[in-house]
Amino acid sequence: MNLTAQDEIAVYVEGVRQALGGLPDTVRDELLEDLPEHLAEVLAEGGGSLHERLGPPDAYAAELSASAGFVLGQPAEVPGEQSRIAATAARHRARINRVLQRADERAGPALGYSRASEFLTLLRPAWWVLRGYLAAMAVAFMLHDHDTPLGLLPRAGGDDFTAMFLLTLGILGSIWLGRQGRPAARWPRRLLRFGTAFLVIFAVAGFFEVDSAAQRDRYYDQVSYVDPGSPYSDVRDVFVYDGQGKLLVGVQLYDQSGQPIRLGDPNCWDAEGNPVPIANPGYPYCPVLAPFQSAEPAAAPSGEPSTGSSTGPAGDGDKQQPAPATAPTPGG
Amino acid sequence: MLNVDPTQLLKGVLDLAVLAVLRDEDGYGYDILRRLRSAGLEDVGDASVYGTLRRLFNGGLLNSYVVPSDEGPHRKYYALNEAGRAELQRSGKVWHGFASIMEDLLRERGKA
Repeated sequence: MNLTAQDEIAVYVEGVRQALGGLPDTVRDELLEDLPEHLAEVLAEGGGSLHERLGPPDAYAAELSASAGFVLGQPAEVPGEQSRIAATAARHRARINRVLQRADERAGPALGYSRASEFLTLLRPAWWVLRGYLAAMAVAFMLHDHDTPLGLLPRAGGDDFTAMFLLTLGILGSIWLGRQGRPAARWPRRLLRFGTAFLVIFAVAGFFEVDSAAQRDRYYDQVSYVDPGSPYSDVRDVFVYDGQGKLLVGVQLYDQSGQPIRLGDPNCWDAEGNPVPIANPGYPYCPVLAPFQSAEPAAAPSGEPSTGSSTGPAGDGDKQQPAPATAPTPGG
Repeated sequence: MLNVDPTQLLKGVLDLAVLAVLRDEDGYGYDILRRLRSAGLEDVGDASVYGTLRRLFNGGLLNSYVVPSDEGPHRKYYALNEAGRAELQRSGKVWHGFASIMEDLLRERGKA
């Protein structure tokens, strides 16, 4: 079969399809589903073009529909919204087919064949193997417990033996199915198409999943090695206690080069979740939430500005400390 | 002019003819057409055979299976199933009855 034969068949089938326009779409598709193969046999016999041997497509269509038990010209169904949509879809399908056919012919020479489909047909066994792998992966994906990552093998039970078994089964099954050819009956064929579509979607989704997982791993590596500050990333507030275990407030932290160390989040909420205004510049932002209660828990929030200001910037918390601390010095 | 031409007669018996050529051997569409033509039904139309096969298949009288072929397209073979064989037998009897009546009629007219 050469290039022009394929074209001739396509054109003829299209003509018959047009002439069968009065029939419901499903009936028409069913009538025409084997026609290209059948016409290829007619052409292979030789003895003239399809038109010469079989007559015009509309005559062929009339004879075909009559012998198949349908009456042309009076649609079996009243053309409702449904069948109009179906008719439009069929027209678009025919147009898409024509575009595909043209692309098939154009792309062929670039691949070294008269038609791209000839090249793709050679790849069919490769697709069978890939399909088997994808089917095994899909089965493993549905069976596995989602606690452990599946990886790139169908480890349904988590072990490699099952993986190899499933993989072998999937690939051999797929090759067997491929060697059966196109199923003759309608429902198995639909099932096959549906399954193929599912596997393709599964493959695309799986590909992006694996790809982004691979990228994520690299990102984690960078964080853990490059950024030593990450252990403090969950620090929300800083509480400084002095030697006596008293909480210091208004604390400023600096590093060795005088840069302020900023940790946490300058916000404060009490246990009920109400915002508390920040009374002191510096740490802690939220003295009420101190993890250890010091000897004078009320020191920080109430503030006592009168004594606090006289004691100096060391902190309000020291307000009682100065008395005994300073007293001995002048006394001694 | 009488309405007796092979094309018209064929319409009534094409189903039976198709079932008959499938009795001993499965066949694909064009193969069946060839068998009918070589049996003497030279006027049988391609579209008629194709359409008849579709109808008999949809009517549950035929099974079908696809045979991959290395050169050329896959071929859809048709085979008689049990219902098809039963129908062939029943319709065959009807035909024999009808044909013998016609034989008798024509013979009597010829004698008369």
